[in-house]
Amino acid sequence: MAVPQIQLKRKITTGSLLILMVIVAVVMLYPFWYIVDNAFRGQAQYDRQSGHSLSGWRQLFANLPVAGQLLNSTVVCVAAIAIILVVSTTAGFAFAKLRYRGSGMIFLLVVSALMVPLQSILFPEFVNLSNVHLTNSYTGAVLVYAALGTPFATFLMATYYRGISDELIEAAVIDGLGYERTFLQIAIPLSLPAVATITVLQFIQIWDDLLVGLFFLPTSQRTITAGLATLSTGRTTSVPSLMAGSLISAIPAIIVYLIFQRHLVKGLTLGMGK
Amino acid sequence: MARIELDAVTKQFPDGTTAVTSLDLAVGDGELLVLVGPSGCGKTTALRMIAGLEDVTSGTISIDGRPVNDVEPRHRDIAMVFQSYALYPHLSVYDNMAFSLKYRGGVSKAEIRQRVADAARILELEPYLQRRPRQLSGGQRQRVAMGRAIVRQPRAFLMDEPLSNLDAKLRVQMRAEIAQLQRALGTTTIYVTHDQTEAMTLGSRVAVISGGVLQQVAAPQELYRRPANLFVAGFIGSPPMNLIDARLEHGPVVAFGPHRLAVPPEVVREHPALERHLGGEVVLGIRPEHLHDAALIHDRGSWPVIELPIRLREELGSEVQLHGAIGSAAHVSEDGGADDVRSLATIVAKADPRTKIAEGETAALAVDAAEMQFFDRATGASIRR
Repeated sequence: MAVPQIQLKRKITTGSLLILMVIVAVVMLYPFWYIVDNAFRGQAQYDRQSGHSLSGWRQLFANLPVAGQLLNSTVVCVAAIAIILVVSTTAGFAFAKLRYRGSGMIFLLVVSALMVPLQSILFPEFVNLSNVHLTNSYTGAVLVYAALGTPFATFLMATYYRGISDELIEAAVIDGLGYERTFLQIAIPLSLPAVATITVLQFIQIWDDLLVGLFFLPTSQRTITAGLATLSTGRTTSVPSLMAGSLISAIPAIIVYLIFQRHLVKGLTLGMGK
Repeated sequence: MARIELDAVTKQFPDGTTAVTSLDLAVGDGELLVLVGPSGCGKTTALRMIAGLEDVTSGTISIDGRPVNDVEPRHRDIAMVFQSYALYPHLSVYDNMAFSLKYRGGVSKAEIRQRVADAARILELEPYLQRRPRQLSGGQRQRVAMGRAIVRQPRAFLMDEPLSNLDAKLRVQMRAEIAQLQRALGTTTIYVTHDQTEAMTLGSRVAVISGGVLQQVAAPQELYRRPANLFVAGFIGSPPMNLIDARLEHGPVVAFGPHRLAVPPEVVREHPALERHLGGEVVLGIRPEHLHDAALIHDRGSWPVIELPIRLREELGSEVQLHGAIGSAAHVSEDGGADDVRSLATIVAKADPRTKIAEGETAALAVDAAEMQFFDRATGASIRR
């Protein structure tokens, strides 16, 4: 008697979980479906919600320099992520593996920067960068993105490096590398999963960001996200062209995720010790 | 090969903890010296100072007569085998073994290949050279760690509990292999372990450390037969030496509880300082193998007998361990002195497996009195000269 009851209970639990997961999936995927479906309509077709065409795409390319803005987004993303990675890997290694006076306090200061929201520092940053003539250029936006992304990335890298055995670093030092080359030859290859995680998260965050792009970049160097925002500033908004732009804008983030996803959870440190 | 000397080496950490206190040690060219002691005694810190991974607070470490206190680890020309093996997980076995030679430079690719091949042959790692560490068993990883040290042909090997992650059977096997390898290579080796059996079987000399202080350094048999103090007496040997609070009376006779044992003349000759303790309190040391089932001793007349209630009988196949209750046993503190905090006062006898003595019985145990040891109760030092 007891066995069928347990099996029934298990089936009900599994079924309930499945239904819950389907609901969550629908909630998550519906906006994406909405974008894809409406990107291939004209305004009238969108209003009627029937029929498909490429007129939304034509309108998008007519009103927005899509290729140029994609390039701008790429330049800003790559440059900011490069700075974030250089700073966070070296700083994370220093916080995790080197012993020096005040390292705990400095780490706390860096991590506390995580609590500061972008909106609260946007104007001070703008004033600061204006004073040194770095607004209205890639440089200003890149520096702001790097400054915003570095605390989290440093925290992540330090945590990751703390998980790497001290003995491994010491073995490399005794093997003749010194701390600098140990960092490059041992720590960096072992931290690829963390580097991949930072790359993906920062790419998505910077690519999708609107505020910094609008504040710090001139019209000619606007990112795709800031560009799309200008589409809806007129008296009428073409939803299909906005959807088409959103679709194009989402593709690079998906590509970056697909490239790095295999590294995200890969435990390279397996087999390091006993 | 190298001669390593530590002269009054002390290590104090920034939080004030003193891990090693005025350590004097000399390791001869080609010698295998074992540093042994309980966890936290400072043996690993001492090894790490020799490696250059820890700064020396005071004192001098010399390799071949040259002080190396301020020399970077990479320039000391020593190889270290770590407890966790510390293999590079992203590199193959071959690359792990060749790593140091590649990055140090000065060795041709052909020479590197040859040295790795030789080490792999010695350590039976040839089939695994292209594998990653995670694809190897614990024993194989341990061999790779050894191989990485060997291929460098360093002046000295430093080994920090390299067998502690292996199971008991493999540990015995690898212990023998390390001993053979060290003898074959003749490389000066300092080996750290908390396992006194490992220390006794491996070391040509063994240095016992407790509380950051060197207690005794001697050949294994010397340590076992003539421990310098209570700590060494209690630490070396399994089961450890029975240490009993006793009174030395004129005769001389050593008395504890209701028991009185005459001290044989040869023991008095070997321990002339005993005279100074006549009428005073001492700690009596008797190894478990020097207590026998009196019923199985043919020449009972020459050995004194004590009668004890037996609390526990442990069958070990080749021997039977009998745990007997006595009045008071000495407790050995970390600094080697004796203090009276151990409440369970038992002594252990390693008896012949044929013994019929059972738990709950009062057993007659013959004492090999010629092997008795005596220690000063106040200082813990052996009473000899």
